[in-house]
Amino acid sequence: MREVFSKFLVDLAKKDERFILLTGDHGYALFDALRRECPNQYLNCGVAEQNMVGVAAGLARGGFRPFVYGLAAFIPTRVVEQIKLDIAHDGLPVVLFGDGAGFVYSTLGTSHQCAEDMACSRAIAGLDVYSPCDDVEMAWALERAYAGQRPSYIRIGKADVGAVHGQPMGQDSAGLCPLAGASDQPLALVATGSMVALARDLAAEFPASMAAYSLPLIKPLPSAALAALAQRHRAIVTLEEHSVYGGMGSAVCEALSEAAPLPIKRVGIADRYSERCGSYAYLREEHGLTLAQVRAQVAAFGERLGLPLAA
Amino acid sequence: MSSDQANYFAGTFDQKQLRRHILAMAKAGNAVHIGCSFSLVEILAVLHRDFLRYPGNDPEHPERDYLALSKGHGVMAQYACMLERGWLDDGHIAGYFSDGSALMGLSDSRIPGLEVTSGSLGHGFSVALGLALAAKRRGSGQRTFCIVGDGESNEGPIWEGALLAAQHKLRNFITIIDENGLQAMGSTSDIMDLGAMDAKFASFGFETAVVDGHDEAALHRVLTQFCQGQDPRPKALIAKTVKGKGVSFMDNNNAWHYSRLTDETFAQANHELEV
Repeated sequence: MREVFSKFLVDLAKKDERFILLTGDHGYALFDALRRECPNQYLNCGVAEQNMVGVAAGLARGGFRPFVYGLAAFIPTRVVEQIKLDIAHDGLPVVLFGDGAGFVYSTLGTSHQCAEDMACSRAIAGLDVYSPCDDVEMAWALERAYAGQRPSYIRIGKADVGAVHGQPMGQDSAGLCPLAGASDQPLALVATGSMVALARDLAAEFPASMAAYSLPLIKPLPSAALAALAQRHRAIVTLEEHSVYGGMGSAVCEALSEAAPLPIKRVGIADRYSERCGSYAYLREEHGLTLAQVRAQVAAFGERLGLPLAA
Repeated sequence: MSSDQANYFAGTFDQKQLRRHILAMAKAGNAVHIGCSFSLVEILAVLHRDFLRYPGNDPEHPERDYLALSKGHGVMAQYACMLERGWLDDGHIAGYFSDGSALMGLSDSRIPGLEVTSGSLGHGFSVALGLALAAKRRGSGQRTFCIVGDGESNEGPIWEGALLAAQHKLRNFITIIDENGLQAMGSTSDIMDLGAMDAKFASFGFETAVVDGHDEAALHRVLTQFCQGQDPRPKALIAKTVKGKGVSFMDNNNAWHYSRLTDETFAQANHELEV
């Protein structure tokens, strides 16, 4: 995803002189090509995220197209109020990136791990929220955010979990993507970001029981597509590397409780911080987000509903 | 000079008249923050009369100078100037804070003439910096004036932004510190002593000056120097002001951060501001 991101920025910088990338002294190597080829369209604002977001707003008001890069723990989480007041309040076309969401910074502890960014950003009126899972969804989100000229936040979680999509998404996509084998099985797995590959693999183990979907558009939520999905399945499991409070799973519950109520289980990060240091895989296990752990949770949920898993 | 002159508005921006407009709004809306507005009156009068260029007196003209009221609590002083420019009418004054009215009690960027949404402090300064940076990148001669409170300068983004302004030599960025020595709950020296603001901004890489913020000739002199001089640094004008300036019983009385006018205080204040 990071290569797609880097290339998109260079291509856009060459195409649109109004484009400018702002970073809070983050993104080592990610912007090498941009700095080499379009150095005037790269602005390191220093370790000062609050000011950077305000400056981006002023640049947008002055006719530029700022993209603001940071780690998800800082952009948007540290600067929620600047995004609200300076950018979203006026509908300014600023695209914000939060990199390393979830447990990517597994060895650096609570300051760099981020389970709150979707909850924070979803609550900001007028801000679109994306959570792509692979190169294809990233390219779709970037193009849609740029062309839409709306305040947008793009979450970048664990970036190298492999491709999910085999071909590009059309710009007319609703932002809810059925993966291979999805039809009218009893259970629907709706996953976002780094959990999509896991959902695909789990569904492949139980093709008679589960369909898997990727949901890269968190806000505005593709409510009609979700309601149609809810009509085809008897229960939903949401999967995200984010708090179970306020993230994608919460958004799905909110939408479907009105439009098409059905049992929904949210798999994600519980209401606690990481206790131990270790690899990314280690932290996924500490938080119960490995394939085996999720399989057990989904099986128990299915049993309660009288929907035992079947291969 | 003559074509540039056409971009200035031929208003008097008389300080007593502006203060009477503020009183009228505050009375109509039962509003607070009168003292915060009174300390800004001469600063805004000088800016509107001689430094802010709005081609065609259009607050949304793309080539206008920018006035960012980062200290949003003084917004009634800007409303008074906007009334004189014809951007507001008497209905806005009489209907201040009435149900469904447009003007908020703090600067709101949706109103033409207010460039930033402020009140949560430290925001407008950063947005104004972005406007100044955009103008510089476009090669435009537009100026950005940003008014910051001394209490507001407790906020970290002010100092984050000061570093960026100096780093990028934003000479078109002119910040004016309304240094009235009072913040919401008391004196700045008791709460968060800022020391010598000119030395602080100078150490951050600004060209600085200190003037009496109610002396229009002195304000005019320094702003002229800032706008016409050759110093490449961003500018900081430390305006020594008095909160509540202009009405004897409000003068340096911090109660008028939050106090509301009664019929008696309204009449008394207006009486003092008769020509």
